[in-house]
Amino acid sequence: MLQVRHLSKIYTGKQPSLDDVSFTAQPGAVTAIIGPSGAGKTTLLRSLNQLITDDAGEILLENIDLRQLKRRDLMKQRTKIGMIFQNYNLIEPLTALENVLHGSLARKSTLAGVLSLYSRQEKGEAMALLADVGLQEFAYHYAGDLSGGQKQRVGIARALMQHPTMMLCDEPIASLDPRSTVIVMDILRRLADAQDMTILINLHQVDIAKDYADHIIGLNSGRVVFDGPVAEATAAAMAAIYAAPAQAAAAAG
Amino acid sequence: MPLRPRLLPQRGEPMTMTSFFRKKRLHLTLLISLLLAAYAAAALILNFNSLSFLYLHLGIDWLAVNFIPNSQSLQYWGNILEALVRTLLVAVASTSVAGVFALGLALLGAQPTGPNAALRWLIRGFASVLRNIPIVGWALLLLFSFKQNDFTGFLALFFLSLGFLTRAFMETIEAIDVEKIQALQVTGANYWQVVAQAVLPEILTPVLSWLLYMIENNIRDATLVGLLTGTGIGFVFDLYYKSLRYGPAGLVVLAIIMLVIAVETVSSLIERRIGMIAD
Repeated sequence: MLQVRHLSKIYTGKQPSLDDVSFTAQPGAVTAIIGPSGAGKTTLLRSLNQLITDDAGEILLENIDLRQLKRRDLMKQRTKIGMIFQNYNLIEPLTALENVLHGSLARKSTLAGVLSLYSRQEKGEAMALLADVGLQEFAYHYAGDLSGGQKQRVGIARALMQHPTMMLCDEPIASLDPRSTVIVMDILRRLADAQDMTILINLHQVDIAKDYADHIIGLNSGRVVFDGPVAEATAAAMAAIYAAPAQAAAAAG
Repeated sequence: MPLRPRLLPQRGEPMTMTSFFRKKRLHLTLLISLLLAAYAAAALILNFNSLSFLYLHLGIDWLAVNFIPNSQSLQYWGNILEALVRTLLVAVASTSVAGVFALGLALLGAQPTGPNAALRWLIRGFASVLRNIPIVGWALLLLFSFKQNDFTGFLALFFLSLGFLTRAFMETIEAIDVEKIQALQVTGANYWQVVAQAVLPEILTPVLSWLLYMIENNIRDATLVGLLTGTGIGFVFDLYYKSLRYGPAGLVVLAIIMLVIAVETVSSLIERRIGMIAD
């Protein structure tokens, strides 16, 4: 379970601010974070694994505050958090299989990781994960040769190789066509249902959020303006989330 | 107030179509007059007669008569080939050794992989100094300590290549999308793992291209360096030329051209091969 309490970040010119953000994300549930551009969705997601450092608050992952950890301990906790990106961020001159194996680096010695000395078991697991996302026959293709949807599925397999309990998905479908969108979202939904993972997804498509999420968090100008089950996300609530900043602030009271 | 596009900064009277083109013509006329004046001044100082261009063909005729190798020149082929191979080896060795050191320096100096900004500026400055001393400068400088031998030539090429490759590799590393590096960091991978699994694969193709380019360049430079350090193909040319053996000297030039073309062909073959893997 992920509990975020009073998380704040002051505007630095590059990232939008976060203003006293608190919410809880449950295992086995898909939580969608929606809101207008510049609302702080990406800032929030990247704060959760401390890719961006924030200024105040608590991020409790299974009751460990990630913000209080030393670098070494943070790296250990990070293995429990898988992350996928809008731009996939695969190492394109390497094959799909090698990219998936990168997810196991944290468990390996420095030398074995540097020299790509993966065990038979690790290779088998990576191959099985590629099969899970329907890419078995693309294992030896260079990542750069794959389509957007295929790259995102390799990204998911790489994250799963970490054995995570939580997945952070930063606009995972923003660059994908409708068919690939369904494939990727189905996989993420399955991870919550079958593996009891905590899934957090930044989205800007409200209809996709309603189709796939259990819980919706609406962000506007760095503040949580909606936090509730998908059933409560009415048209009025949506209008408030996407309202101009001043109105949203008034709505949040 | 009506919006008007401002194409050029306006000073004094407003720009009109006529004044705009008049101004452009004026600038161009000024520039051309300046170049002609510089040429005239230089010719005057150097006592250079512009009419010499008319006699250019006489020089070429002389070259054609004297420098075309004949059957007698071929007896020098063994010597020339040996010197050519030595020159090639010096060029390849200096590039490869410089490449290894440059990669280390570039990793320390590049923004995504280096420890801090101070070291980054230090390495950047060091590389710029090495790179900006011309090859002839290096060769003359090193002649003082290392005298006339192959090692002096190797060192001269090494220092220049080190400076050039360090800057090139740094820029290559800095061109990687930082998010790709972050994507591996958030899996919990440590520094060396990220360097080996993300940075090196991403830069492999450009690094190989730079190395091939540097080898080609160093073969050309090695010829010149050989003239100064009394080694390799440059020395052989100097020897034949100064002892008026123009035929063999012409053969040396031919051999150098053949080597450069051969190396270029090989490296473009290699690059195409890498390109196929990369795309």
